[in-house]
Amino acid sequence: MTASPGRDDSDRPTDGIHLDRVDVRLGEADVLREVSVELDARTTAVIGENGSGKSTFARLLGGLVPRTGGELSILGLDPATQAAELRRRIALVFSNPDAQIVMPTVAEDVAFSLRADRLRAAELDERVAAALDRFGLTSLADRSSHDLSGGQKQLLALCGAFVRRPRLVIADEPTAYLDARNARRVADHLFTDTGHRLILVTHDLALAERCESAVLFDSGRIATFGTPAEVIGRYQAALRC
Amino acid sequence: MLTLYRPGDGWLHRMPAGPKALLQLALCLAVSLLPSTWWAAAAALATSLAVYAAAGLGPGLSGIRELGRQIFALRWIIAVTIVSQLLFLGIESAVANTARVTAAIVLAALLVITTRVTALLNAVERGLGPLRRLRLDPQRAALLLTVALTTIPILAKLARDVRKAQRARGARAGLRTFAIPFLVMALKHADELGDALTARGVR
Repeated sequence: MTASPGRDDSDRPTDGIHLDRVDVRLGEADVLREVSVELDARTTAVIGENGSGKSTFARLLGGLVPRTGGELSILGLDPATQAAELRRRIALVFSNPDAQIVMPTVAEDVAFSLRADRLRAAELDERVAAALDRFGLTSLADRSSHDLSGGQKQLLALCGAFVRRPRLVIADEPTAYLDARNARRVADHLFTDTGHRLILVTHDLALAERCESAVLFDSGRIATFGTPAEVIGRYQAALRC
Repeated sequence: MLTLYRPGDGWLHRMPAGPKALLQLALCLAVSLLPSTWWAAAAALATSLAVYAAAGLGPGLSGIRELGRQIFALRWIIAVTIVSQLLFLGIESAVANTARVTAAIVLAALLVITTRVTALLNAVERGLGPLRRLRLDPQRAALLLTVALTTIPILAKLARDVRKAQRARGARAGLRTFAIPFLVMALKHADELGDALTARGVR
């Protein structure tokens, strides 16, 4: 299956995400089975019921779980042998922002994402200030990270992800705990094109519709892949059965 | 998140974290080694007052007000220390020991009040540098300390969540009914934090 339904591919990088009969086994459970797909669209929604394998798929792409079979290439890299290089290019955003915040103040938490890059102080400050400004967090720079509201925390998590200028952002239900206004703000930031690809795991079908392509997972396998309209249609039809 | 840092531009704020930590270590040791006498208690109090007043924490009496906040935050430690000492020692020793403990804590607190965690992290990393020869990874050790420090309030929040959930379901408070869900939530948080650190490029 090839991605990017309904959109001109001419301006995209060629190194997408390629899975060929990939299996993931966690303990005794086969969580993903023979997953084959090529994702070349800039934004892809991953939908499906709870336990269908969506989050494991996201964690697989993020290098958090290893494959137990098949071939996998992400941005032209193999996560089994080029994990460090891949992590420099990927950012993950989870549903629970509390677990993503490491440092005590907002600015320090954003700067933490760049710690491994060993930047000069001036460049680090500049990158952090620009990221805070982009996410509307400048006025909160010295605030305690965990005293923020849920929406502000998720924006901080996004800010910490995007400050690294990732080429691939994998977001696992990033709006799950948010009200409608904050969910829209977070989604708008995710969809703003900064040269990154987006893999968005979500139960929010309206959010999935904003993507260029979509994947439907069922029992650890890809049930459907195509445009969001097609995939969501199939999903809703299956739910009515 | 455990953040005692107060933004400011006084001399103590501007001082590099490494020398500042050494200076405060020396001060803490000095008050800790005082004898258990009335004058030692007065000296510990005077040292705390002088250091906070001169620390450049803000205009006017900002330093003294900050010292008041710190001592208020320690009220239970002070109470437990003095009561337990009074059971076994005379009043002079009990007051002096409590004053020395309190002074050591509030003087140590000045380090985190005037230093960002990032600067502390860098200083710890540099300080542990020589231990590379013993195959200790300073970056990892400093990160471990930072994460441990910043996780304390998260665990406090998880504990509150467990108590709230128990109350909502009418469960009676008990060690077992508290400890098991708390441990499960804490381990889940540790897993998520590990993933988040990996995702943010931490080896």
